[in-house]
Amino acid sequence: MRAIDHHAWTNRWRDWHPVEKGLPAVGLLTLTFVLPPLSTAPLVLASATLITVYGAGIPWKTLLSVLAAPAAFLLAGIPFLAISMDFTAGIDLTLSLEGLRLALTTVIRALAAMSCLAFLILTTPLTDGVLLLRRVGVPAGMIELILLMYRLIFVFAERALTGRQAQAGRLGYSRLDRSVRSLGLLGGNLFQRALDQARRLEIGLMARGYTGELCVLSPPWELSRWRLVAGIAGISLIGLVSSGLARSLS
Amino acid sequence: MKEPLLAVHGLEYVYPGGVTALRGLDLRIERGRKLAILGANGSGKTTLLLHLNGLCKPTQGEIRLEGQPVGYSHRALNDWRRQVGLILQEPDDQLFAATVRQDVSFGPLNLGLSNAEAGERVGEALDALHIAHLADRATHTLSFGQKKRVAIAGVLAMRPEILVLDEPTAGLDSHGVTHLLGALQQLHESGATLVFSTHDVELAYTWADHVAVFHDGVVLRQGETATVLSDRDVLRQARLRPPLLLEVAEALGVKVSAGSLSRSREALLALLRERLAGQD
Repeated sequence: MRAIDHHAWTNRWRDWHPVEKGLPAVGLLTLTFVLPPLSTAPLVLASATLITVYGAGIPWKTLLSVLAAPAAFLLAGIPFLAISMDFTAGIDLTLSLEGLRLALTTVIRALAAMSCLAFLILTTPLTDGVLLLRRVGVPAGMIELILLMYRLIFVFAERALTGRQAQAGRLGYSRLDRSVRSLGLLGGNLFQRALDQARRLEIGLMARGYTGELCVLSPPWELSRWRLVAGIAGISLIGLVSSGLARSLS
Repeated sequence: MKEPLLAVHGLEYVYPGGVTALRGLDLRIERGRKLAILGANGSGKTTLLLHLNGLCKPTQGEIRLEGQPVGYSHRALNDWRRQVGLILQEPDDQLFAATVRQDVSFGPLNLGLSNAEAGERVGEALDALHIAHLADRATHTLSFGQKKRVAIAGVLAMRPEILVLDEPTAGLDSHGVTHLLGALQQLHESGATLVFSTHDVELAYTWADHVAVFHDGVVLRQGETATVLSDRDVLRQARLRPPLLLEVAEALGVKVSAGSLSRSREALLALLRERLAGQD
């Protein structure tokens, strides 16, 4: 979570307009779902990975660790997709070619889709996306709420961590029953502090002329026509190649 | 006597719970000064500061801004807060936006400035605190000292005449303190009036040109730093120790009064070396 956030704020493409990053992510994702998976998904997986690592400069290790969790779930699911069970005469397990094919297409398609999303979340901070929502007309109140929550998550995560450490230092987690009790106390404490924090933040904002609306400057984004065209061209190319491949395979 | 920029007279404040925080407090904030409000922890300094830009409304007493009694209407408060900027002790209580630039733009936009003007103000405030390189950083990735400076920049961008800082050096290491005071000194030299609360007698002694000793809801004494801090009775009453630098200077037989001794540790050390060399 921290690593994703860190890279989202510091990658090479950080200052690009979020649409320029959303376009390849959504475009490739769409290809994965509308075109035959066996030819498209590997291409999408490869290109999303390459732009993440060599374009935006995200380390391989980070990208792999982001993909690892869903990949583990996918691998665990393979046997259930590949093997068909029949209970009519006892238990009959069969490994069919059809089942294997189904498992393979599912796994590779899901991985390709994941790589598109990984590209987006590793290159675009959540708040950029939210600010974009404001431009398309989502109510200001809702956006303010999301942005405040984003900011305060980190304030509270830090308090929760130090609180937990302080409890652990006094053996609050040495036994299961104590752990449950400590966790409850920590939760109650954080709740109180959240209320307190809200009150103090209000005072702090009032000192800066807060009158009920949290207006801030939007980042100075500029849509680059060149990047948009490059993105569309890239997606079209991948789409064409994979369609061609699919035809020659069948 | 010249009318102070901000004058507080007979201020009383009782918390909603019934505890009295301020009991008939007087304070003068004169233009172009660095005023330290010196008091022990928990003595109610923050409550006093909250009164200085209308975040708390006194139960009794009067506050005058440039000679005019302040009002508590919406418009009067906006005007007041534009002139008197308050920086809280905990930066997380004042920073709310995702990036530094966005956060600092909040105050200027509240003043009704255009995006372009607000952008200019942001650049100016970040430069003044030497944090222009942090402009596009995410707020939550900053260190405590950096957050503190962003909070100050956020208030500075509103171009207040008086900057009120609650315990500005609390939680900073000595490097951070030096850095922050350097930036504040520059602001002061370019004309800002600074008011800060502290429990640190040494800081008040070395850095403020006026001190107000605050204890139990009143200001015991306000005046020139060396004079007030040589007043043992007042310090004892406020449960403060005299500054070490002052005590050493006195032990060396230097008469400390307004302007007679540069109050820096360097000046004192130079004096000490001189004396030691004289003994050989």
